[in-house]
Amino acid sequence: MKRSANLRLALRYLGALVLTVFFLFPIYWLFMISFKTADEIYAFPPVWWPETMQWDNYIVLFRDGDATTVLNSFIVAGASTVLAMFLGTICAYSIARFRTGGDNLANWILSQRMVPPVAVVFPIFLLYVWFGIVDTYLGLILLYTAFNLPYVIWMMRGYILDIPLALEESALVDGCSRWQVIWKVVFPMCRAGLFATAIFTFVFAWNDFIFALVLTRTEITTYTVQVTHYFGGQSNFWSKISAMSVLGTVPVFIVVGFMQRYLVRGISLGAVKG
Amino acid sequence: MSGPTVRSGDRGFRYTLVAPSIFVLLLIGVFPIVYLLMVSFQGLTMTDNDTSFQGLLNFRALLDDTRLWQSLMHTVFFTAIALPAELLLGLAMAQLFIDRMPGRQVFIALLVLPVVVAPIVSGATWSLMFDNRFGPINQILGWITGEEMAVLWTVKPHLVYPAILMAEIWQWTPFMFLLLLAALSGVDKSQLEAASIDGAGWWSTFFRIVLPAIWPVMAVAILIRGLDLFRLFDVVWALTKGGPGTMTETISIFTYVKGFQQFETSYTGAVALLIIVLLTVLLTVLLKRVSIAR
Amino acid sequence: MSDLKITKLDKYYGTNHVVKGIDLEIPAGEFTILVGQSGCGKSTLLRTIAGLETADGGSIEIGGERVNDLPPRDRDIAMVFQNYALYPYMKVRDNIAFGLRARRTPKAEIGPKVQRAAKMLAIEHLLDRYPRQLSGGQLQRVAIGRAVVRNARLYLFDEPLSNLDAQLRDEMRGEIKRLHQELGKTMIYVTHDQIEAMTMADRIVLLREGRIEQQGAPLELYERPATKYVAGFLGSPSMNFIPCTLSVAEDYGTVMLPDGVTLSLPPSRVAALAPFRDRSLLLGIRPEHLSRATGEHRRGLAEIEVITDLVQPTGSRTYATFRLGGVEAVAELQSHDVSQPGERLKLFADMNRAVLIDAATERVVGNG
Repeated sequence: MKRSANLRLALRYLGALVLTVFFLFPIYWLFMISFKTADEIYAFPPVWWPETMQWDNYIVLFRDGDATTVLNSFIVAGASTVLAMFLGTICAYSIARFRTGGDNLANWILSQRMVPPVAVVFPIFLLYVWFGIVDTYLGLILLYTAFNLPYVIWMMRGYILDIPLALEESALVDGCSRWQVIWKVVFPMCRAGLFATAIFTFVFAWNDFIFALVLTRTEITTYTVQVTHYFGGQSNFWSKISAMSVLGTVPVFIVVGFMQRYLVRGISLGAVKG
Repeated sequence: MSGPTVRSGDRGFRYTLVAPSIFVLLLIGVFPIVYLLMVSFQGLTMTDNDTSFQGLLNFRALLDDTRLWQSLMHTVFFTAIALPAELLLGLAMAQLFIDRMPGRQVFIALLVLPVVVAPIVSGATWSLMFDNRFGPINQILGWITGEEMAVLWTVKPHLVYPAILMAEIWQWTPFMFLLLLAALSGVDKSQLEAASIDGAGWWSTFFRIVLPAIWPVMAVAILIRGLDLFRLFDVVWALTKGGPGTMTETISIFTYVKGFQQFETSYTGAVALLIIVLLTVLLTVLLKRVSIAR
Repeated sequence: MSDLKITKLDKYYGTNHVVKGIDLEIPAGEFTILVGQSGCGKSTLLRTIAGLETADGGSIEIGGERVNDLPPRDRDIAMVFQNYALYPYMKVRDNIAFGLRARRTPKAEIGPKVQRAAKMLAIEHLLDRYPRQLSGGQLQRVAIGRAVVRNARLYLFDEPLSNLDAQLRDEMRGEIKRLHQELGKTMIYVTHDQIEAMTMADRIVLLREGRIEQQGAPLELYERPATKYVAGFLGSPSMNFIPCTLSVAEDYGTVMLPDGVTLSLPPSRVAALAPFRDRSLLLGIRPEHLSRATGEHRRGLAEIEVITDLVQPTGSRTYATFRLGGVEAVAELQSHDVSQPGERLKLFADMNRAVLIDAATERVVGNG
């Protein structure tokens, strides 16, 4: 009995190990290439572990200014997150507490989340040309705000429904206005939910490619678009692809590392409380 | 959603709260559809500013466009392979990690990393992996077969699909895994114990008790991933740009190419509308079976 | 002057008529308890007074001012909620000060006020803790503290003790009553627990299906219930109801039960009851008004003989269950009056305190 239990555990560890290698190896490969010299990158057979860890590939990105695309990503993702969180949360509050618009509004908002970007990006592009906001922060921030609003509203609605109603009623009786209730009770009560939702909102905008591809040119290129600039037939700039990708991926790994607890609820649109 | 609402008197307040969001959603969400409806009945291209009413011309053209229907078939094909694969693999992984074991949390934290990598970056990563000469995959295959391999993964017609599916499955299996793990840990332990006392085997326990219990979560996971696969773009773009030829062109890539490389404004409008209609139909059918959160 | 005056108040949830034209006036300084079964509209009534629900008809006046259209914060009320409703992210001190801050009380006044309220409730040592570090009883004290720190005109309590265990509940009952005596404020308290209502109230308002069934001082309701519902609601174990008919001859009246048992009425009650002879009635008699028959036969005591089915000693008293007039009845006896089921018992029924109820209207009859 004891022996078979031990064997089972050993097999499970073996399975876990194999899976971990499978899912982490590509990430390892990406990171590692960014530290290789050109000779090591284009060596046959491939070099599995670089001899000299060197930062040249990154230095090049910073020297040429390519690294500012990460800053662009940060600005548009950050600003749109703040906007979407604020607008979305108050909207979610109204829907959760007053059932504004009934189920129809809530479902319509959720369905907005499902629309494929490629179907709407085209008219949006033309609209942006009209307004002259292609390749501007404003344009991309506005778009990401709109794109993430349904997610924020849907998620925050769930978190707000978790707040005991009596807390808000008590605040109303104690002398708070409607706005004060939101500010002094609702926001602090769903701090964790706000934070988790904001992180995911940020990551969605940060990782977006297609909107940025269409709506940026040269001024505010984001890091995802920048990565594709190095693709070129047979002569891919591998060093730049990997270094740029790593620059864009590390921040996401860090923030999501802090969000483990909310990951499940976040990616399942709140369907799983985790 | 039971219990009384907070005093319903403040009509103005509740609409003030939703107004800005609705405005933004209408601007970015509904305007495009109205616009699509408009242009798709006209004859706009990059070179021709023909805004006259063309009736159903563009829509009739849709029917005869084999490239369009092929791209749709590609999308369906990707979905038909990737979705079940991710689901089954994710379920197996969840089963592996459902019981306690030292270091479990660390494994889980590491395994979910692919989910948050930008899809375009994941595509780029796999194009590095699949490189015929400098990529590790051919190298590993070489070790196994004992001879030098130089497989052109992203070029050879019969290999591009496995390559793209590999990248896709690599990135999203952890998503399934995470959701199903959460669902599995929510299964009532006492029911499992009762089943084992009643002498039920592993399979019958799984199909009679576990599967019904995790189905709601599974359905949501399938829905979310299904919709994502329907708009598959980034990974394919990074690996093949839809090539060779148009062999791996998905419906999203097709639309992009039509609109932004060939500038067939009105025709793209019709394609985009087609996508939205298809999706709406699909969604209406699916949402009847699945409910996302309360 | 009255602090609260409610006129013809109506409240609907959808098509569900929850509060049905209630009129209620509460004098300043009184402790009023709204009591009734769940779903009787008592909580809705309280919440409508607070402004957490909108009235659908009628008017609510607080301190002579119509408040129907005022938001809760302008109604000069303080409220204690069933689940305490404390803010988990604030210390006890800040929870208590919350209302003062929301009303822009000068900073210098807040500290001493919080201190005074905490002292009154003996929670001074808890001020720097967070709610999650407190026990249920302590949480309730804090919740009460948050209400009393505000100098409101009207204090509302929504089943504040229902989450506490029995012993704490006894303790807090006394505490709240003492608080009322100290503050002398008008308080309205909602509960489904008739013991809370009896022990604490200056006045009980008993609600049933959205209407006031009867209101008055606790003992008044207990001793002179107007309806079968009131008679049965107050008192534990509840009043026994036994079908009966009344026969009256001259100034001599007897109550006859279906099994042939007759009980004679005190002559003083006969005149008032005479109009109800030959009607189908219910004899209502409380368990404590059935006692072991002893030698002396006082006026108004009717002797009956029963066989016990069930004996339940509680320590101070013993409840004996038996069949009487075709229904089950309970007597509350001295601890050692009865020892085992099957025992034959002679009981006195105190017919001075029994009530007669018209079976058709369920109203108590002949009660002056």
